[in-house]
Amino acid sequence: MSKPSGNGTHGKEHRGLGERVEHIGSSAQELLTEARDTVSDLRKTLDLTARMERHPYAMLAAAAAVGYVLGGGLFTSATARLVRLGIKVAAFPLIKNELFNLAESSLSGFGASSGSEASGSTEPSSETGSSGA
Amino acid sequence: MDATQQLQQKAREVQEKLGPQLDEAKKNLSDFNTRFTSFVRARPGVCLLGALAFGFIVGRIASRH
Repeated sequence: MSKPSGNGTHGKEHRGLGERVEHIGSSAQELLTEARDTVSDLRKTLDLTARMERHPYAMLAAAAAVGYVLGGGLFTSATARLVRLGIKVAAFPLIKNELFNLAESSLSGFGASSGSEASGSTEPSSETGSSGA
Repeated sequence: MDATQQLQQKAREVQEKLGPQLDEAKKNLSDFNTRFTSFVRARPGVCLLGALAFGFIVGRIASRH
């Protein structure tokens, strides 16, 4: 009397457990497939290889910058110094023309003064000679 | 002699002295650039990871100071 009922419940339990295991297995498979798709989509979106082909130095600099930030170097005095230097370098093209104009004017002024000295060289020497005597 | 002429003469002399050396340096730099970019293109993952590691180490050093 008790045997069939016991076997029946065990069979149902086994069947239920098997179904659950199958369900978990299929869910895991789906999850794996989705993860693979996501990774391939991410790869396509980032397209690191092609980017490395096109801009190798920029990509290396970007990777180094990411590593620098991950290493905790963002809020440091070295970063502040670097940022200040970067601002100066970025501002240089803006003030380059002004610097060239300044240099040209100073050079032309120097040339004019040396020319005038060369043309009137006899007078000052006589003056200095008289003052020295 | 005028000062500008003297300056020009000096500049010409410096150019004559440094010209070949500059050309050589330019050629060497161009060769290095070609080799480096071909290396990076051949091994992009390694180079990216290397740059990341380098930046991480520099960041660690900077955060300690």
